[in-house]
Amino acid sequence: MTFGAATREATRARWAARASLILKPLQSALDAFPPSRWLMRRLDRRALKGRLLAIAPPYAWLLIFFLAPFAIVLKISFAEPDVAMPPYTEVFALIEDAGSFFLSIKLNFSNYLLLIEDDLYLRAYLNSLKIAAISTALALMVGFPIAYAMARAPRRWRGALVMMMILPFWTSFLIRVYAWIGILKNEGLLNGFLQWLGVIGEPLTILNTDFAVYIGIVYSYLPFMVLPLYAALERMDESLLEAASDLGCRPVKAFWVITVPLAAPGIIAGSFLVFIPVVGEVVIPDLLGGSDTLMIGRLLWAEFFSNHDWPVASAVAMILLLILVIPIVLFQRHQAARQEAAR
Amino acid sequence: MRKYVLGVGAALCALVVGASALLAAEDKVVHVYNWSDYIDDTILKEFEAETGIKVVYDTFDSNDTLETKLLTGNTGYDVVVPSGSFLARQITAGVFRELDRAKLTNYGNMDPAIMARVAIWDEGNKHAVPYMWGTTGIAYNVKKIKERMPDAPVDSFRMVFDPEVIAKFKDCGVYLMDEVDDMHQIVLNYLGEDGNSQNAETLKKVVPVLKAVRPFVTKFHNSAQIEALANGDICLTMGWSGDMLQAKNRAIEAKNGVDIAFSIPREGTLMFFDMLAIPADAPHPDNAHAFIDYLMRPEVIAKASNYIFYANGNAAATKLVDPAIVNDPSVYPPPDVMKKLFVVTPYDAKLQRVATRQFSSIRGGE
Amino acid sequence: MASGPTTRRTFEPWDDPKSKPILRVSSVSKSYGSVTAVDQLSLDIHRGEFFALLGPSGCGKTTLLRMLAGFERPDTGRIELDGVDMTAVPPYRRPVNMMFQSYALFPHMSVEGNIAFGLKQEGLPAREIKTRVAEALALVQLPDYGRRKPHQLSGGQRQRVALARSLVKRPKMLLLDEPLAALDRKLREETQFELMTIQEQVGITFVIVTHDQDEAMTMASRIAVMDRGRIAQVAPPTEIYEQPNSRYVADFIGSVNLFEGNYVGGDGAPTMRCAEAGCDLSLAQPLLVAPGHRLWVAIRPEKLEISREPPPPGTLNCLSGVVWDIGYLGDFSTYRVKLDSGKIVSAAEANRMRLTERTISWEDRVYLRWVPQAAVALLS
Repeated sequence: MTFGAATREATRARWAARASLILKPLQSALDAFPPSRWLMRRLDRRALKGRLLAIAPPYAWLLIFFLAPFAIVLKISFAEPDVAMPPYTEVFALIEDAGSFFLSIKLNFSNYLLLIEDDLYLRAYLNSLKIAAISTALALMVGFPIAYAMARAPRRWRGALVMMMILPFWTSFLIRVYAWIGILKNEGLLNGFLQWLGVIGEPLTILNTDFAVYIGIVYSYLPFMVLPLYAALERMDESLLEAASDLGCRPVKAFWVITVPLAAPGIIAGSFLVFIPVVGEVVIPDLLGGSDTLMIGRLLWAEFFSNHDWPVASAVAMILLLILVIPIVLFQRHQAARQEAAR
Repeated sequence: MRKYVLGVGAALCALVVGASALLAAEDKVVHVYNWSDYIDDTILKEFEAETGIKVVYDTFDSNDTLETKLLTGNTGYDVVVPSGSFLARQITAGVFRELDRAKLTNYGNMDPAIMARVAIWDEGNKHAVPYMWGTTGIAYNVKKIKERMPDAPVDSFRMVFDPEVIAKFKDCGVYLMDEVDDMHQIVLNYLGEDGNSQNAETLKKVVPVLKAVRPFVTKFHNSAQIEALANGDICLTMGWSGDMLQAKNRAIEAKNGVDIAFSIPREGTLMFFDMLAIPADAPHPDNAHAFIDYLMRPEVIAKASNYIFYANGNAAATKLVDPAIVNDPSVYPPPDVMKKLFVVTPYDAKLQRVATRQFSSIRGGE
Repeated sequence: MASGPTTRRTFEPWDDPKSKPILRVSSVSKSYGSVTAVDQLSLDIHRGEFFALLGPSGCGKTTLLRMLAGFERPDTGRIELDGVDMTAVPPYRRPVNMMFQSYALFPHMSVEGNIAFGLKQEGLPAREIKTRVAEALALVQLPDYGRRKPHQLSGGQRQRVALARSLVKRPKMLLLDEPLAALDRKLREETQFELMTIQEQVGITFVIVTHDQDEAMTMASRIAVMDRGRIAQVAPPTEIYEQPNSRYVADFIGSVNLFEGNYVGGDGAPTMRCAEAGCDLSLAQPLLVAPGHRLWVAIRPEKLEISREPPPPGTLNCLSGVVWDIGYLGDFSTYRVKLDSGKIVSAAEANRMRLTERTISWEDRVYLRWVPQAAVALLS
């Protein structure tokens, strides 16, 4: 069974690579953060005696908090809605017939068919992807200079800067988004300030628009972009830019040909960390967005709460997962292939 | 690894043992799950003092939250307060236990007319008794409306459903309800159709009305209007009676010069009832009965109405409620308005989907 | 501590008044806050030189190099390259290239990409770039490594790629910042000679910063020994070694025994009165100072003769003491001798004989002597 073992080994390597793509930059961001370093040292000393013990927790985590719920949601997506507790039919049933037991599996595909037939879902998926893509680009544009400044700050400040970046997490996410309502509304702080400055005469309508949604998303997800970027940029040797300049390359061009490619792992990790959750974001569009902000998260919410249709909600969630996972897997394949080629 | 598993197992066992010990020790307790800002706290204190049953009080602010919890089961709550049409579906799903009338000594105080109305959701009033009821109406900023349209039909749903009228208020902000069922039923009633229609073709008539006014609507929401209206951020909204009176009070307390009025439109509107019920898996059903029975005492429920500005369904309590509230037509509507108020039964799954889909596309501004 | 190959002997443009220096640094100063890194420094470097800036860390040598490259702007003074004022020219417009201590290879580019980078900035046609990259790779003897990434190379190979990258643009001057510091000792020695060969091949002026005196002595045509932002001495290696102009230079280059004393005149046989030595030390030449002037005599350990036999009476510069310690270095042995005054003096002797036959041992009384020409008299 050497073949099986080899495949397993490859799968494991792929998983590890996949995890490290996102985890590594975060890891190094955390490493720069003194309390976490202390914690890691303690963990190192205690736990990492056996290899098994070291790798078991992430796998157990994945199994309990990802695969098991995934299986349940997948099952519900093939059920039918029902007025019952819980409000859907059973997919698997044990049937007794003349003393023999049969496992009956009833799969209902109409939930998925509905998603194809009604273009509402397609448009919601596309719009969510669009909003996520624009938000990710904006977060990158805002986050890059911040991360760059952090990475170039004197070493003794960096821990404090990382800390400040994480600080907002000490307050509830919901409260922070609510605070934006106060800032952005017509009689809010921003309009008041602009009117006081005399820049505008009439208040600008920002709240309840897509623009407000982008502000809220970029604000909320900025740390997820900045930290991996910071980790990547902090590792970068400053003498590389001097070398580029020395070889006749102007600073602006050096930024694009040296800094950006070297920050690529951070850019990719940060973009994934922003893009993926934003696609399914519900709270920010609900609080800051207008009623025409069509997002899949809201639709899913409506299926679950308004329609009480857990099966369709599950199907929507499954498709969302596929939409997110497939590109990541393809990207991983591509990366792995490139690394293979480079070797 | 083995050691870890054992450790976790032991911890879990300890937890379970501890929890059951707690349950046994805290027998004199009732877990209540009610809408937020929906009771006078002194009522809970007095109940505790009188019965020795401790009240653990939690709040929610949407029927959806409550229903999702109830359908998932094992909520741990003894008394919950769903609205009528949700109650109906939940009864079908088997969420509730039947009330034991023998334990409800104050049952006779209830208003038979109200009990008859809520029986459409709960045949024979077996599972629930009404706590409070209200209407979906129109609330507005008096000054801003007058400025823009001195002769505005403020007692009519034309304010929000007539494109020519609502267009005048676009600049100062208009919210509509983000409630699929309510919006369909209210618009059908406004069109002179049966508000409780269960016909998919009839439901379609809602679409052109809402589409026509969609461009003038700032937002569809169920709760944000309280704050927005009180702060003067919007000038016109649909809303639930109690919520809107709350907004009015907040503005008065804030002394920000915002004057808010609420009206029950003359076309008639939806009436909702929030019902006291006991989940089938309630851990303390006896205490739950005691609590509900306490709330059916005229002096207790009158106190509650005085505090939250909602009408109750207790005939014996009406004379004990503050005259200012009883005489407020937006809380206790006069009989001619009462006649135009209607209640609805829940849509079945198929119709629900049609309605939700229609409403989503309207809201999405297609 | 040998001087360069014999061919270099005749290469002495700094002594030729007609030679115009390729680099002229005039009164350049640079401070960081209250710290003066480079202090009113002036320096000429001539075409084709292999010039070493030598000094301990913090002496300002790297700052000077970075000012030559354009990464730092001098606070005052002027830097002229080939007659053109470079003081305010940004690095990307200077006809100067630098090889970094960390090599600073672009990790996301192949070896070829790294070397071609500078040429691409010039906008050269692809074909020419290709030829020149190939030439550069051949020059550093890595012809088949073009497609590799820097992380797939050994330390020595990376060093060569860095060299190729900085040479491929054919700069007027190549700056090397501690180019060998990251290599292990054996590789470092090989590479020193290789660098010299390459420098001769391409004929470009090299300016190297190093803290390693052996490196400077081996490779450089001239060495500038730096001390706290100033140049203590500029001279060819032999002169630096044999005729240091100060205790600082004498002490920094190699090891040295220093005796402090006062000048005693006398036209024929000038001497220095020295309490530490326990006797007068005779000097090679008379000095232009008044008698009684304070001065130092510096003598290298290998120039001391050590013997157990007492010298004939009347021998000049003869010290006596007890062997305190013996260090065996293979080719050499160092004897640390405690003089009667308590001062410790080092003497080195080539191990021409087998160790077992060695005659001097611990606690032996020994006698040290030297010819006056072997020592240098220093006034500062």
